[in-house]
Amino acid sequence: MAYNYVVTAHKPTSVTNGVTGNLTSPTDLNLIIAKNSRVEIYVVTPEGLRPIKEIMIYGRIAVLELFRPPGETKDLMFLLTHRYNAMILECQVDGENIEIITRAHGNVQDRIGRVSETGILGIIDPECRVIGLRLYDGLFKVIPLDKENRELKAFSIRMEELTVIDMAFLYGCQTPTVALIHHDQSGRHVKTYEISLREKDFQKGPWKQDNVETMASMLIPIPAPFGGTVIIGQESITYHNGDHYIAIAPAQIKLSPINCFGKVDANGSRYLLGNLAGDLFMLILEKEEKMDGTVVVKDLKVETLGVTTIPEIILYLDNGVVFLGSHLGDSQLVKLNSKRDANGSYVQVMETFVNLGPIVDMVVVDLERQGQGQLVTCSGAFKEGSLRIIRNGIGINEHASIDLPGIKGIWPLCVNSDKFDNMMVMSFVGQSRVLQLSGEEVEETELPGFDGDNQTFVCNNVCFNQIVQITQASMRLITCKPGGLAEEWVHPDGKKISLACCNHTQVVIAAGSQLFYFEIEQGKFALKGQTTVEHEVACLDISPLQDGGQSSDLLAVGLWTDISARIFRLPNFESLHVEMLGGEIIPRSILLTTFEGIHYLLCALGDGSLFYFLLDQATGYLSEKKKVTLGTQPTMLKTFKSLSTTNVFACSDRPTVIYSSNHKLVFSNVNLKEVNHMCPLNSDGYPDSLALANDTTLMIGTIDEIQKLHIRTIPLRETPRRIAYQEATQTFGVITYRFDSGERNLPGFEPLPPPASLTALTSTATSKLLTGGGAASSAGDATSDEQEVYSFLILRQSTFEVLHAHTLLPNECATSLLSTTLGEDPTPYYIVGTALISPDEAEPKLGRIIVFHYNEGKLTMVAEKEIKGAAYSMVSFNSKLLASVNSTVRLFEWTAEKELRLECSHFNNILALFLKSKGDFVLVADLMKSIALLGYKPLQDAFEEIARDCNVKWMTAIEILDDDNFLGADNFHNLFVCQKDSAATTDEERSQMQEVGLYHLGEMVNVFRHGSLVMHHAGENTTPVLGSVLFGTVNGSIGMVAQLPQDFFNFLLEVQNRLSKVIKSVGKIEHSFWRSFFTEQKRDTSLGFIDGDLLESFLDLTRDKMQEVVLGLQIDDGDMKRDATVEDLVKTIEELTRIH
Amino acid sequence: MGDFLEGLPSYNENNFTRFHADSSHRSNKPTVYISTKDYPSEQVITTEKSNILLRYLHQQWDKKHVSQTTCKKRDSQRANLSEFNEGSSSSKVARVNSTDSN
Repeated sequence: MAYNYVVTAHKPTSVTNGVTGNLTSPTDLNLIIAKNSRVEIYVVTPEGLRPIKEIMIYGRIAVLELFRPPGETKDLMFLLTHRYNAMILECQVDGENIEIITRAHGNVQDRIGRVSETGILGIIDPECRVIGLRLYDGLFKVIPLDKENRELKAFSIRMEELTVIDMAFLYGCQTPTVALIHHDQSGRHVKTYEISLREKDFQKGPWKQDNVETMASMLIPIPAPFGGTVIIGQESITYHNGDHYIAIAPAQIKLSPINCFGKVDANGSRYLLGNLAGDLFMLILEKEEKMDGTVVVKDLKVETLGVTTIPEIILYLDNGVVFLGSHLGDSQLVKLNSKRDANGSYVQVMETFVNLGPIVDMVVVDLERQGQGQLVTCSGAFKEGSLRIIRNGIGINEHASIDLPGIKGIWPLCVNSDKFDNMMVMSFVGQSRVLQLSGEEVEETELPGFDGDNQTFVCNNVCFNQIVQITQASMRLITCKPGGLAEEWVHPDGKKISLACCNHTQVVIAAGSQLFYFEIEQGKFALKGQTTVEHEVACLDISPLQDGGQSSDLLAVGLWTDISARIFRLPNFESLHVEMLGGEIIPRSILLTTFEGIHYLLCALGDGSLFYFLLDQATGYLSEKKKVTLGTQPTMLKTFKSLSTTNVFACSDRPTVIYSSNHKLVFSNVNLKEVNHMCPLNSDGYPDSLALANDTTLMIGTIDEIQKLHIRTIPLRETPRRIAYQEATQTFGVITYRFDSGERNLPGFEPLPPPASLTALTSTATSKLLTGGGAASSAGDATSDEQEVYSFLILRQSTFEVLHAHTLLPNECATSLLSTTLGEDPTPYYIVGTALISPDEAEPKLGRIIVFHYNEGKLTMVAEKEIKGAAYSMVSFNSKLLASVNSTVRLFEWTAEKELRLECSHFNNILALFLKSKGDFVLVADLMKSIALLGYKPLQDAFEEIARDCNVKWMTAIEILDDDNFLGADNFHNLFVCQKDSAATTDEERSQMQEVGLYHLGEMVNVFRHGSLVMHHAGENTTPVLGSVLFGTVNGSIGMVAQLPQDFFNFLLEVQNRLSKVIKSVGKIEHSFWRSFFTEQKRDTSLGFIDGDLLESFLDLTRDKMQEVVLGLQIDDGDMKRDATVEDLVKTIEELTRIH
Repeated sequence: MGDFLEGLPSYNENNFTRFHADSSHRSNKPTVYISTKDYPSEQVITTEKSNILLRYLHQQWDKKHVSQTTCKKRDSQRANLSEFNEGSSSSKVARVNSTDSN
């Protein structure tokens, strides 16, 4: 058996469908978009798009349409999934509460029928009489929308046209009339049919048009008064309504095929058109009024508006604002202006919605060596191609920033202001400054009694409406009303103050190894105690432990020399505890704090590591010492409050927020590069904010409530295909391709920036095949027009700057990339596998494996090997190179002459697409024959097939989980785990892998990588989860598969079964149906996987529903079973949410 | 220049007027809908399970049958589906239903 937990870490982002209408109320203008299996509902407001709800559908959405049957005041939503579950949904809004009512549901799958290669088409009659579906070739399915019947009986109509490209219902017809473009041997034709509901058959339609353009791809039905349709081809646009026919062939649409349209005017006089180059066009139907009062189309015009993202759907919202939903790039909200901007564009981007899809390849890297991975993905395509860097952490939303270099400390002050902070103190070397905050404005000001000529160590509001400022020279007490210096304290021997800390009523000052303790009174400092410690003081803190406490009787001190953390009791400096930290790095910051009622001492060292202890407030005793590495530089700890919970901000080169969840400390990255100092700020213009300073800038921002994935985009402006990371050279290698199509710049518009492969600092190219190795020839070999050009790019790790581009041969397509060392040779190599494509070959017959070395700005081709096919995949295997070449798996040895020599091969595949290796084992994925495990026999120099999964599976990605379990993803959006059974008694049994895990993920996985997006801390026993494999999908989602112990799995399975009953599915699709393994050939119950997405939705349930799930559930509490409580389950599931 | 972009439709003239490019103050992600209430569906969508060829043959049979009993002169036209009248269709619907249950 397999015991896996699969969960989404980042939801799909590519927009697959979308509509506008009035769904949430008769007056709301809604935008509804589908992202694979999720529907997002927005409402258009003066402020922009306001999110309403996200709805999870238990199926991948194929059709999403709104319609309004007669008698309804608002629209209904029709949804059809790829597994043929149809549903009609109504959205009921009651204040903030929203309910999705399933008005009708059912499955419309046929037992027989050939699934259409052109996909599912679904359309709704404008008069809402029928829904038309094309699911199978040659069949048109009709769902009559009959209000009276309890049952909506769908039926199929035989359709002569086997290959239907597009179809639409015509407006203004007495009977529902469908127009379609179909394809046959002689070309493409447009036909119309009337649907006779009584006969359940097609009747001859009002018109047809044979032999339209051979690439006609889209039908736009035109509403009254025009009627008819517009037919979009690759070179022409035609209006046709039966007796009237206008065709145009505008030059600008030939640049790239048009793939989507969006209606602008309700009467159909203007449409937006989009293409794969991201050009946005407007199609205008010019009208002519005839003598008899009828209106006809006089002419068609196409105007170019500008360049946008590559849209999949175009939805006109309101007042010239358009939503462009994209699959190949980020989605956009754009405004159409009637005047051109400086670049000649009528389009202005208002907002961008990040889309990671399609994720084609990715790597997990730990650039900061913190034990936390970040993902770098190859995302998007064509001009929207990019690398995305994804890491987990807390976000700071910047609201203001000021260029201010050299800040050494910042503190907020509240001077004669009843509620808000209105000043900020900034300290620099040898001086200090006070800033006045009025609204969002910031300006320098004077504070009477404030010492501006020294660097400030501490500055705080204290009791009796006073301010304490401590510099190396003195400690000053400043009264706010009237403003001025009340008292100044200097060291009795004139020594300099080295460190200080203070709270609302107390101050502790360190001068070398001397400590002075003061209590603050009205107008003066009262010295209450002093002592000398063994060594010089490195850091100290007297933060009150009680929430809202004014004073503390505990003082925490970190010392130089013996590297210790100590707890003293005030006022007489009674030593309560001495904790030796060990090592040679001095403590730099120490902090007493309380999270969720538990007292802690945190102590950060100069190397970026942090110790933390439980603190007994009564005895000062420290226990349960733990250590974690946060950064590499000295770290400063500061507390701040967010939503009335205490958090600690660790300022360093890797800023981190420390908080507590379920009585455990959580360390979460912050999406900033470096923070040296921070303070909380709650001013009029910046409420509940943080002020953060680095070497050059002061920034004011607000903090996200929860940690989430942060995404950075590196635009490549061409399609990325493969990525590899090379630690030794601190570079990424990326395979990209671009289309060199000559001049495609539009007249009147600024040219687009060039793709990344043309912006490299240096470049080389392969000019002809097998030059015999040596240096790559220099660039300059011009490629012909309309060519796919593959490049191998070297990007600098820190800046993602393109350092070098190597152009491959014309017709050469790079298929794989690997960074590795070979044999005894310590040199790190980038190895590129290619295929030479010839249009008349079904499979490539020739390819290359090229070994590159990058060193100090220079790329050298060290070796190249001709191969008889495409190198689909390459892995490093026992210091050798293992490559899958067409149907074979080949092992290459690296010789002393730095050449690749074929050592052995294995043949038993149709196309060996993917390889993974572990020790002497190789996992091979075939195009359609699932997976096989090979073992390497070094003595015989040969591979033997150990075991194979004998089922048909069209593979898209594989990964080795452990020595016996192998994870695969297939073309039908399933995940599966196969197990090798070494203990089986017969050879035959041993040679067959068992399917021990089956699961319908509903996402097409392109890549698996071992790794994790969260930091794992040794010594923290969280949930017993083993291993972590991340996956990236076509729709831009990122997920994770982890292994669970059997008893924990069974427990979670029980929870999952209960949850699937308590949580009602929209559209009444059973959870077990959705997750069942599904291919064209078979359907199997889900096995060996826990649906983490369902499980985690437990946390969003109301308390009584949680209770319903928990009722009767048994939990294993170490040694015996007992009834589980809601708290048990919340704790368990919250911990599971923290593994991704 | 750009006349074709004049007079773009407006549903509510205030929409997008207070739009700020700086979207950091609002969350862009809608909350996830979770339903624990079971609403019965008003309607069930079913799909005809019978073969469309069988349905066609039954239609033909019905038509022949009906036309033989009610209207003999139509014999020559019985293959033409468009020539159906009201009375025959109601009896046809009944028959198709009975084949559904097979």
